[in-house]
Amino acid sequence: MQSTSNYTRDRCITGIHGLDEILRGGIPHGSTVLAAGTCGSGKTTLAMEFLVRGALAKLPESCAHFTATEPSIKLLENIRQYAFFDMKMVDSGKINVFDMDVLYSWLGLDKASFDLDDVHALIKAIINIVHEIGATRLVIDSVTTLCYKIKSEQLIRDFLFTLGKKLASLGCTTILISEITSASENAHWSSFGVEEAIADGIIVMGDVERMGHLLRFLQVVKMRGTSHSRAKHAIELTPLGVMLTPMLKWGAQHDKTNKVGG
Amino acid sequence: MYTNLVLDDRIAEQLAADVSLNSAIQVRCGNSNAFNVTASTLIPLMQMFEMGGVYICASVGAAERIEEFKAIGLTDEDISRIQFVDLVSSGILGGTDVAYTNIHFVDSPIMLESVLLRTLYILRMTTSARNFVFLDSVNALAIYNDDRMLAEYLHTFINTFRQREVLSVILNVPDQTPPLVLANLDLYCTDLIDRGQVLIN
Repeated sequence: MQSTSNYTRDRCITGIHGLDEILRGGIPHGSTVLAAGTCGSGKTTLAMEFLVRGALAKLPESCAHFTATEPSIKLLENIRQYAFFDMKMVDSGKINVFDMDVLYSWLGLDKASFDLDDVHALIKAIINIVHEIGATRLVIDSVTTLCYKIKSEQLIRDFLFTLGKKLASLGCTTILISEITSASENAHWSSFGVEEAIADGIIVMGDVERMGHLLRFLQVVKMRGTSHSRAKHAIELTPLGVMLTPMLKWGAQHDKTNKVGG
Repeated sequence: MYTNLVLDDRIAEQLAADVSLNSAIQVRCGNSNAFNVTASTLIPLMQMFEMGGVYICASVGAAERIEEFKAIGLTDEDISRIQFVDLVSSGILGGTDVAYTNIHFVDSPIMLESVLLRTLYILRMTTSARNFVFLDSVNALAIYNDDRMLAEYLHTFINTFRQREVLSVILNVPDQTPPLVLANLDLYCTDLIDRGQVLIN
């Protein structure tokens, strides 16, 4: 007789409409998930909603967002258009937004490239902040921008592995945003090729072109510690947040390409 | 009182007799009676069943459809109980420059998943306890979409709303609807209002 296990890992319920269903209950607690997507595919909105849902949960979670692609003031201005977001969450310290540029200055890392010591200093600073505010949800937007300063592939690997391990030990579920130029079948899900191997999960976001129109999609291609749907889902960025529905099978079949320039 | 149009009362009778919230009604009409059949279906749903809902405009722009509804006597209050998803006007220069706040634009009738998600979004926002989704029309969607994709979409569409106890009303002109799609509608829909044969006196 075949043995079966009833063991399931604790989940971080994302609260994003449809995503928890795809993940059979949420992201395994403490995971580091790469949200890889093309420009305009909804990565930042998805990540911010992930934090907001945590902050609004029955047992509110403390959340942190490190922004490297745009100043925090601009990020917050852009996100305010969504009804799910309320500036009070930032003002009250439920969601803490940090500019990476400010962090670099504070650490004396105003330089073009990072060496091993710099990387360790950066990890220590991020971990200290997460620990200090008790963050259980973290977003780094984007890990691509951050890794541009780390010239060695091995160092990037060490950085992400160490960061992920330390965040997991703090019980922090993390979304690392990765900017990619194509979400097609043969694409890498990260700019440096190493992020995708280190991450516990990969959520790919991009556009399907259908007769000249771009339809946003989301696909969970990997998530350690849970079974999950690997189907492509169409997404819509509504004022209430991200909404998903399975993409039409015949619609996907007829698409000649799902690449977008970038 | 609807002054300029004689409604088909038999549609109201059929709705009262057969329809529940998780029904999916296929409404067949001809070219010449399409608006009469639309109004004869929609008005009882709003008046008799006190429903609100979503009207998906694939055949004409939402603003034009609202004006038509007003012309037959629907009030602003009646109109405000319907949210319109307009798949036509984004393709027309200046088409989205309208005065109504209850119109939601989708770029194109080929963005079928977006139409579904936008409708679900509206239903999440609505205060009405009983809702319909009125799709006007399958034959208009068939102009842009592959038969198999449209058949698959209608399958998803109907089941999505049945599961949520939202009444689906799916308008089509049979002789302008691909046979595969029509066959699938016959299969998926729970009820049929057939005004596809237009009698000429």
